[in-house]
Amino acid sequence: MKPLVKPRSLFIGLSCLCLLAIWLSLALGPVSLPLLDTLRAALRMLGLPIDGQGLEQAELILGQIRLPRTLLGLAVGGVLALSGVAMQGLFRNPLADPGLVGVSSGAALGAALAIVGGSLFGGLPEAVGPYLLSLCAFLGGLGVTALVYRLGRCNGQTNVATMLLAGIALTALASSAVGLFTYLADDATLRTLTFWNLGSLNGASYSRLWPLVLVSTGVALWLPRRARALNALLLGESEASHLGIDVERLKRELVFCTALGVGAAVAAAGMIGFVGLVVPHLIRLLAGPDHRTLLPASILAGASLLLLADLVARLALAPAELPIGIVTAFIGAPFFLYLLLRGRA
Amino acid sequence: MRLSASAIALCIAMLAGHANAAELPQRWVSAGGALSEWVSALGAESKLVGVDTTSQHPASLKALPSIGYQRQLSAEGILSLRPQILVGTEEMGPPPVLSQIRSAGVQVELFSAHADLPTLQRTLEHLGQLLGNEAQAAQLFQGYQQLLEQQQASVSLAQAKHASPGVLLLLGHAGGKPLIAGKDTAADWVLRQAGGRNLATHSGYKPFSVESLAGLSPDVLVFADRSLSGDAARAALFKENPILASTAAAKAGRVVELDPTLLVGGLGPRLPHSLKVLSATFYPDAASPATTAP
Repeated sequence: MKPLVKPRSLFIGLSCLCLLAIWLSLALGPVSLPLLDTLRAALRMLGLPIDGQGLEQAELILGQIRLPRTLLGLAVGGVLALSGVAMQGLFRNPLADPGLVGVSSGAALGAALAIVGGSLFGGLPEAVGPYLLSLCAFLGGLGVTALVYRLGRCNGQTNVATMLLAGIALTALASSAVGLFTYLADDATLRTLTFWNLGSLNGASYSRLWPLVLVSTGVALWLPRRARALNALLLGESEASHLGIDVERLKRELVFCTALGVGAAVAAAGMIGFVGLVVPHLIRLLAGPDHRTLLPASILAGASLLLLADLVARLALAPAELPIGIVTAFIGAPFFLYLLLRGRA
Repeated sequence: MRLSASAIALCIAMLAGHANAAELPQRWVSAGGALSEWVSALGAESKLVGVDTTSQHPASLKALPSIGYQRQLSAEGILSLRPQILVGTEEMGPPPVLSQIRSAGVQVELFSAHADLPTLQRTLEHLGQLLGNEAQAAQLFQGYQQLLEQQQASVSLAQAKHASPGVLLLLGHAGGKPLIAGKDTAADWVLRQAGGRNLATHSGYKPFSVESLAGLSPDVLVFADRSLSGDAARAALFKENPILASTAAAKAGRVVELDPTLLVGGLGPRLPHSLKVLSATFYPDAASPATTAP
């Protein structure tokens, strides 16, 4: 099948889309700022010598609310889409999504533990308390993924099919544990748990941002270097190893990067579905299955899509706001159905 | 660097502004049902420019812009209402959003949602100061305290003559799969104030199997339905849970409704009246205990 778009024009298009999404995300919000003020405040924050008179509000909204939120959206969207590509490459199945190796359910378990059990260790030091939820979610995701990986290994070989089934079993186990916590929770914690499961970029702050930015930058720099190996893996595991790829190492890297990236994203923004599943599909449709294009293009597309979805989330019901997971699933699910039906025709 | 410098500059500007501006906040956003009710009761409904989803009373508040659920507030959404003050219970959050709102120069005041009189007194005193209306706030509290004292007096009078009835409170949604209110809930406090004995001994709100429901044989059923009210809610409850019809409470027709919005956010102004209605059902023979008080 001939790709619809050449990689070059795809990258130009996606870069423009991403820049547009960033600008919209900075310029639009429930507080309506004059466009000129936004522009001047943005330039001032970049260090240009512009008179700050009358810009206090614009700078505050831009610097303390919209900029961290935009950065969070970029990092979360990019890393989720990238992990989606990694998982679909690892399982050689376009239906794979980052949740398959247990990272999402593990993170949900960690979060439930923190939300419901958090009050039990009330005497936490100031430095840890606010980050308990993120920390537990991150560690939960990493822990369950490590277990899935361990279960899939036998005689120094990683069996992808076993890993897949282990992932399904552990996901079920983790959801039952989350169910138990739901039962134990009181009304208020129940609402917190529900909202966490729908994800949100609300309340982004720099102190919560930097661990995610660090992790996602690392993953975004590392994974695209493995594009050729992923291409070889498309042919099959033994074929890839005949081509000189260390398949075991590749699998380990893919699982590790996904666990790290998705774990950090979920810890920072809660569960956001469908980005990891749909974005790689979209790029494959446009530019074909070559991972050299697919990996970097998915980062750009995932980041742009999440920013645009967040725009809907914060504007649709202003001054209240929608959890972003609702928006991404609302866009993602019909699109996925369309892909299914199109393939059948 | 420039960012923090401007933030500091802003803080200084705010402090300076605060020093010479002794005037009280005029644009209020409330993120708590009971708080919105008290603000309205203190005659300041017109100062409210936004409320959260738990603020359902008085009904006119529903016309105001909704800032969403109190635990999931959006900083920019609230700032777009240009409030001078945000009031809410300690449940209000998430914390990073509150600090963003604070840093934009909006006064953020947290109140306890604990259901007892000393807490209510502090809440009303504080609201009175913020509204410049201390005298009326004190008056409101005294009236409230009197009503609750009368309530308690009449309940103990009735309890001297009759055993307290065993009660279950069912919190449901159109009758289906009700949750039973246990210990450590506002519902439990309400039942006790009205002179009932809560038969449920678990803590929090939990679903029950119908068998154990019938096994507890409550004398009175109190239902709080989130989507229906009145006879429709009563009918739905018995339709969805037929076994309830065999309880002593249903046979004697002692099934009474409670507004579920009374159970969140601390003591509200409508509570004394509801307590009266409840105790009238709990002690039907006690010569209408609510009116025997001096």
